[in-house]
Amino acid sequence: MADEKQLDDKDLVARLRDPASCRMAFGDLIREYSEPLYRHIRRMVQSHDDANDLLQNTFMKAWQNIENFRGEAKLSTWLYKIASNEALTHLEKERKRAGISLDDEEIHLAELIASDNNVDGDALALKLRQAVASLPEKQRLVFNMRYYDDMKYEKMSEILGTSVGALKASYHLAVKKIETFFEDHD
Amino acid sequence: MKDILEQVNHNDGMTVPSGYFEDFAVKMTAMLPEQEWEKAESRVMPRSWWQKSRPYIYLAAMFMGVWCMMKMFDLMRPVSIGPALDNNPVITAAISNDYFFNDYIINEGEMHEYELIEDLYETGYTPDTYYDTDDTEYPNV
Repeated sequence: MADEKQLDDKDLVARLRDPASCRMAFGDLIREYSEPLYRHIRRMVQSHDDANDLLQNTFMKAWQNIENFRGEAKLSTWLYKIASNEALTHLEKERKRAGISLDDEEIHLAELIASDNNVDGDALALKLRQAVASLPEKQRLVFNMRYYDDMKYEKMSEILGTSVGALKASYHLAVKKIETFFEDHD
Repeated sequence: MKDILEQVNHNDGMTVPSGYFEDFAVKMTAMLPEQEWEKAESRVMPRSWWQKSRPYIYLAAMFMGVWCMMKMFDLMRPVSIGPALDNNPVITAAISNDYFFNDYIINEGEMHEYELIEDLYETGYTPDTYYDTDDTEYPNV
């Protein structure tokens, strides 16, 4: 499955390099990556509207920089990197706009989760979302990528520019904090 | 804790409006501005250091491989048993023996005695002169 995906990526990169097929190939790229990237962004910012805007920005930046994409990194790694940066930049802007500190962000995100209408009604999933929202920004990113996206530490390391050891420690700590959250909110 | 994570089963509980991703792909593709390089017939992508030097590295590796193979064959070649030809006492003794040298080495080397005698005849000398004792002075030929 992974090899198949990699082969598809190679084909996509080859088509992206050709000006004649680039636009059409980029359309295929949007279709292929919009859902995983949307989920990746939304798990960070919580709001559907914000996630939609940030997803647009992600693809727009990718399109503007596609000429500089050399194909050395995997296409998905490159896109996840752009999406993660977009999400983190947005959260920082929101904090500045609302005048809230990093510590108070948890309350802001909890409000967003509470007012979210685009949910499937799974109470346990919602509680886990609230628990994850209580984590520090980077730890939240690590937990989301590892648990929800089921991403390998090596790939996460390429995207976040952090060592595998540090990522493992961060995930372990995040799970401990979530456990404490569940005990406190039982 | 593992139980909770297993129960949730990677479900983030987030939903999107119906047909959201299909609409998004159409709208997003339409939003993409035209790029300068799209007008060009062919676009030369910047090549990385590895892409540039790869053929030369492969060529060097091939030569290294050939060299290693030759070296390996050289090491695998059987070594001759006994003393080398230059240091062989039997051969040294044989070569230093005039009879052996004249009878076997020179004759084996296709230099026949009668040819030498014929040369002497042609220059006006007889075989008697040639077969004289050691102290005979040979004329300049």
